[in-house]
Amino acid sequence: MILFDRVTKVYPNQQIALSGLNLHIQPKEFVTIVGSSGAGKSTLIKLLTREEVHTSGKLIVGGLDYDTITPRDVPLVRRRIGVVFQDFKLLQNRRVGENVAFALEVSGARGREIKRAVPKMLTLVGLASKEQAYPHELSGGERQRVAIARALIRQPKILIADEPTGNLDPKNAWEIIELLLKINRFGTTVLLTTHNKEIVNALKRRVITINRGRIIKDEEQGRYTLEGGK
Amino acid sequence: MLQLWRILVAGTRNFLRNAWLSTAATAIMTVTLCIVIVSFISNSALTSTIKNVTDKIDISIYLSDSVTPEQRQTFQSALVANSNVASVHYTSKDQAVAEYSAKHSTDLKLLQALQVAGNALPASFQVRAKDPKKLDQIIAVTNQPQFKPLLDPTAPPSYAGQNKTTIDRIVRISNFFKTTGLIASAIFVFISTLIIFNTIRMAIFTRKEEIEIMKLVGATKWFIRGPFVFEAMLYGAIAAVIATGLSYALILGVGPNVKGYIDVQPVITFFQHYPALVITGELIIGLFIGAFSSVLAMSRYLKL
Repeated sequence: MILFDRVTKVYPNQQIALSGLNLHIQPKEFVTIVGSSGAGKSTLIKLLTREEVHTSGKLIVGGLDYDTITPRDVPLVRRRIGVVFQDFKLLQNRRVGENVAFALEVSGARGREIKRAVPKMLTLVGLASKEQAYPHELSGGERQRVAIARALIRQPKILIADEPTGNLDPKNAWEIIELLLKINRFGTTVLLTTHNKEIVNALKRRVITINRGRIIKDEEQGRYTLEGGK
Repeated sequence: MLQLWRILVAGTRNFLRNAWLSTAATAIMTVTLCIVIVSFISNSALTSTIKNVTDKIDISIYLSDSVTPEQRQTFQSALVANSNVASVHYTSKDQAVAEYSAKHSTDLKLLQALQVAGNALPASFQVRAKDPKKLDQIIAVTNQPQFKPLLDPTAPPSYAGQNKTTIDRIVRISNFFKTTGLIASAIFVFISTLIIFNTIRMAIFTRKEEIEIMKLVGATKWFIRGPFVFEAMLYGAIAAVIATGLSYALILGVGPNVKGYIDVQPVITFFQHYPALVITGELIIGLFIGAFSSVLAMSRYLKL
């Protein structure tokens, strides 16, 4: 599903963010990526969402070779992947329903299809009653659910959750993780980055530890290890 | 078509939901469009006033009493043939005295003196020039050898000596005001465009996060840009309507007070005869500035 083959990313200031990274994620996997700040987690995600372009190596996502992508293809690539961010990234002047619908509107979905899909998705994430609310009227946990609903409405094969619990209290954080597990059970590949030790250890899923742009540990039922796995 | 409809709906929704920003941007656009219209009005009023003054400039060519009708006809034809001559009007000796008498009908002493002395007024041509700056071209005709003997030796053409200096001065001042008016209008329009551009740029800057989110969700450049451009065009359209109304009210209100100094009647007439043209022109300017400014301001945030 996701293949990083000796992928290197060097920023214009010569900072090496990823160095010959090899990673293979199978369909329907739930993978957690951990690492200290500056380890390369964010760069890895930005390569997947094409916010950044890798310097060398091969990156293939869902059968699409990223070397063949033109600037015109970038929106199409992003529509294939669902992404959830730590700071939610919701459109503040749009209602909850409109935020979720936006993901379908950009794909050119018909109005009838949108009207049918949005309430269903909001029910799935437990926000059926909040369709008309604005993001600022919601709690942090609810906002993250809206972001998840928006990411999932296009039924992507891959869901990337970049520190989705970073701004949430433990109760809400767990609710979000349970939602991600539920989505994974439906068959979506989930790629989670987090700093939350309890969550990583409780998940008992594949954990990849990154340090200085390299994978230093890749365990099937891994645990969170500080300072890059000492 | 569906995407275009969504862009228009999103643009209108943004306009309504960002009420304060929309009001501020529309207000600034209204003020600047008013400046554009007032510059245009002032410029055309000034041009019309100057034209009224320069139109009054003509040359009187006085003829000798001995000129035969044939000679006069040849002379008149030569004047009419000159490329700078707009019109030539002949006043005979009898007409001259009649006009003089009519003009001084209350001055009995002057009328009595005129009867005693006989008709001493010469026949003349009143020549109106197309371009008052080039009156010398007309004088050159009178200086031709075959016409020079036809002139009244005691009364040289009115474009000579002291008269020439005064006429040249009026023409110079008129040209100065015309050029200054035009430059001032151009500067005002330029500054206004800059102000509008900056307002829209700031409005978009405050929403750069929104643009960033749309990009990450997979929207194409036009799907992101469209609602912003349409929103800015709405500012322009509403501002154009308000600015036209305000300007019309202004010239109707101020017009009578400046009637003695500046001729605003042609502008008022233009407004009254071509209201659709005025409003369409303003709308085009408003829509164009709105669209152009927003497209330009957004380009830096749209790199995928």
